[in-house]
Amino acid sequence: MKGLGPGFWSVTLLLTVISLVNAWYFLFGSIDWIMPGSTNPVANVTYDIDGLFKFMAVFGGAICIYVTGYVIYFAIAYRARAGEPPDAVGAALHDAPTLEFWWTALPTLLLIVLTGLSIVVWYKIQFGVGSATGLTTEVIGHQFYFEFRYPGLKTSVFSKTEPMHLPLGVPVRVLITSSDVIHQFWVPEIRLKQAAVPGLVQNLNFTPLRSGTFDIVCSEFCGVDHSKMQGKLIIEPVAAFNKWLDGEKQAAAAGGGAVVLTGGTAAAGKALFAQKCAACHQIAPFDQRLVGPGLLHITDDPAHPTLVTGLTPTPDHIAAILQNGFSGPIGTMPNAQANGLAGQDIANLVAYLDSLK
Amino acid sequence: MHAATGTTHEAHDVHDHIHPPPEGFVRKYVFSLDHKVIGFQYFFTGLLIMLIAGSFAELVRLQLTDPKGAIMSNTAYNEMFSMHGTAMVWLVLIPLVTGALGNFVMPLQIGARDVAFPWLNMVSFWIVPIAAILLFSSMLWGGPHAGWTEYPPVSLLDGTAGALWCAAIFTVGISSTMTGLNFMTTIIMMRAPGMTWTRMPLFVWATFATALMNMMATVALSAAVGALFLQHVFHVPFFDPSRGGSPVLYEHMFWFYSHPAVYIFIIPAFGVISEVVSTFARKPIFGYKMIAFSSMAIAILSFTVWAHHMFPSGLAPWLQLPFMILTYAIGIPTGIKIFSWVATLWGGRIYFSTAMLYALGFLITFTFGGITGIFLASVPVDLHAHGTTFIVAHFHYVVAGGSLMGFLAAIPYWYPKATGRLMSERLGHIGFWLFFIGLNGTFMPMHWLGLEGMPRRYATYEYFAKAFPDAQFWNQFETGFSFLMAASIGLLAFNVLWSIKHGKVAGINPWGARTLEWTIDSPPPYYNFKKIPNVFDRPYDFDQPMPYRNTDNVVAPYPEYGAVVMAQPAGAGA
Repeated sequence: MKGLGPGFWSVTLLLTVISLVNAWYFLFGSIDWIMPGSTNPVANVTYDIDGLFKFMAVFGGAICIYVTGYVIYFAIAYRARAGEPPDAVGAALHDAPTLEFWWTALPTLLLIVLTGLSIVVWYKIQFGVGSATGLTTEVIGHQFYFEFRYPGLKTSVFSKTEPMHLPLGVPVRVLITSSDVIHQFWVPEIRLKQAAVPGLVQNLNFTPLRSGTFDIVCSEFCGVDHSKMQGKLIIEPVAAFNKWLDGEKQAAAAGGGAVVLTGGTAAAGKALFAQKCAACHQIAPFDQRLVGPGLLHITDDPAHPTLVTGLTPTPDHIAAILQNGFSGPIGTMPNAQANGLAGQDIANLVAYLDSLK
Repeated sequence: MHAATGTTHEAHDVHDHIHPPPEGFVRKYVFSLDHKVIGFQYFFTGLLIMLIAGSFAELVRLQLTDPKGAIMSNTAYNEMFSMHGTAMVWLVLIPLVTGALGNFVMPLQIGARDVAFPWLNMVSFWIVPIAAILLFSSMLWGGPHAGWTEYPPVSLLDGTAGALWCAAIFTVGISSTMTGLNFMTTIIMMRAPGMTWTRMPLFVWATFATALMNMMATVALSAAVGALFLQHVFHVPFFDPSRGGSPVLYEHMFWFYSHPAVYIFIIPAFGVISEVVSTFARKPIFGYKMIAFSSMAIAILSFTVWAHHMFPSGLAPWLQLPFMILTYAIGIPTGIKIFSWVATLWGGRIYFSTAMLYALGFLITFTFGGITGIFLASVPVDLHAHGTTFIVAHFHYVVAGGSLMGFLAAIPYWYPKATGRLMSERLGHIGFWLFFIGLNGTFMPMHWLGLEGMPRRYATYEYFAKAFPDAQFWNQFETGFSFLMAASIGLLAFNVLWSIKHGKVAGINPWGARTLEWTIDSPPPYYNFKKIPNVFDRPYDFDQPMPYRNTDNVVAPYPEYGAVVMAQPAGAGA
């Protein structure tokens, strides 16, 4: 073998320079056009996730640059030339153990470092907030909108277009589930997403660091209008957030949006069930369905530990279904307005169903 | 029966056992037992469905030229991308890389007269058209809408079409399993004398690894789509949380197959690249053992990484860690392969045939797709990039820029062996540049669109285009370049058909290649090898004489890059 070839070191130098430019760009340039808000992170984990991205863009980019560069250089430098005899062959090189050791060891080392860094960020995302959580909110995916719930509000008062609000600087835990099919709750500028799976409550933890209005996007295909399923997230200072939340609570109280369940009687509920519910539901085991399932042991059925909304069968959650109705692949149930149910009616029905366990 | 000639039994040649070729059109070309004919059947079926599924992809691209959706309803769009993915994965890539290439090439490379179970092979092929009919007939009922993954519960809304989708995938899965079994048995039992494991051509190693995955992973898919079918038809609540089921269960079962499946696409392409790079660099493959063993390492590791498709889908947080670490581990053998191919180029004497161009293109695009895979394996970054067009870009760089490029290298490489004629190198070169430029133009912008916030499977993107005004430009850019790829595949189909009659006569060994199939006639006779050859070394040592004895034809000890190829018109092949 006659050395590595005339231009090898020049090409290596060129590729190294390109790799360094690439590294410099990702480390010191603005990548906001790829990762929006990278220079001014929206949440505490945004910076870490972007850091991992940059780390990989630097080293992964270098691997791509060297491989591409050497493929092109070798193809040109070692091309078959017209004057050579037709039986000319290339160098009889089968192995180069030292070289192979290094091109196995170095990527392995790189991946070990990357794994370590990823684990640090992963831990921060999954467990970093922990007991410091200042606010827990709920997100429920529906075809084709997100519903948001807050502590102190028994049922959602939000229409499909109302934004989610979060307080600045407060560690939040967002509980996520779905009422029908699988959705995904994603805020691109925060860099976090989590699936909204029916029957499963999952969470995302982060601390908002910047005020503003951001897109919420469904990133799991969820049906015909999947591409229209989006919402807005408003991050605002704590005082503004509290003012907004109090306003919503008052509106809920004034509008009768929140149902008070304490005054319900089972006897009144039984009579009402025959009028309003018996067309579709029997007082029978779950599997004896008319249109909807039998409701005999709805609050205490080990085989069906969750409601159709994926929530536990507490009186509040049953009341929410009566209030809001239900619509999903397995059927439709009218809401309180369509069914002609006042707040007291719902309280009576819940008391009745609760008495059947 | 040799009762009368018992005394000569020991003396008689193996070729006494050659079966006569079948007679009649049906036995010869329709229900053929010949692995080569079955390979052609897979090839033409796959190519036809590729044209259909590719046109679905073009409709998808056209729809996205306008943020409001340019040409069709959301429902029609959802059907198009679902059919594109499903047909490309199960009816194009798997039949082409395992069915067509594995069937035609593998028995020839190990010096066998057919696969171990020719009847099973015939049945395996004929299952594929049945599955194709089931899948395409689902379009009469509105077609599937939930993507090639068909996650419940949303896929349950597809009704009859969804049930037909399950039936089609179940059916094609049977074919995969049987082919895997058949190829494993063939490679273990039917290698020519002297062809030890470490003397096998690397394409055979790749086929062996693929067969292992086909045989062991496909049953999980059959269980997943079988359960989904039962839920569609009999309302058995496997995946219905309100009745004790779990939608996440389907995702686990689906990906337990479908992650190995992407290696089922790519490992045969690895095998092709090993053959093509060595042949056209006129040089031994660098690191034979490492390439062979890394195929097996990838095949085994591929069973342990499925949940990296599900990081934000309902995994317990601690469960994300082992899947992230194992996914990184699989990058190491893949890297070794790429570096070995690049090292094979060094010091070679490189001929730019169409096959070699595709192989060089493969090294560039597959490396890029592999690196974006490393991004996605990191849980925190995946929480951002999951479900976006970044995934679409990564996947197509690996599958179109990897698996399909490998297959496009294989077609001109083995076409002369299969038909006796060379494909047009000039058309091939044009096709390569169209494909390579089209591929990068189509999928490169998807990386940044996805990271900016554009999800995949979007029929419209009005709000996204409002936030990022460039979105429409880049989507139109992608659509424009995607037609270059379409033109390339159209050109390929034309070249394949045209060259059957008009290509230059190839001779036994137009490329001066050294594996066993290049010692027999082109096209090979029905029985492949009249005498089973003896093998006494690896096939890639270009500075050594050909390592075969007892070959049917007299082969040059140092085969040259053929005069036939060199006589191409100027500009092609030089």
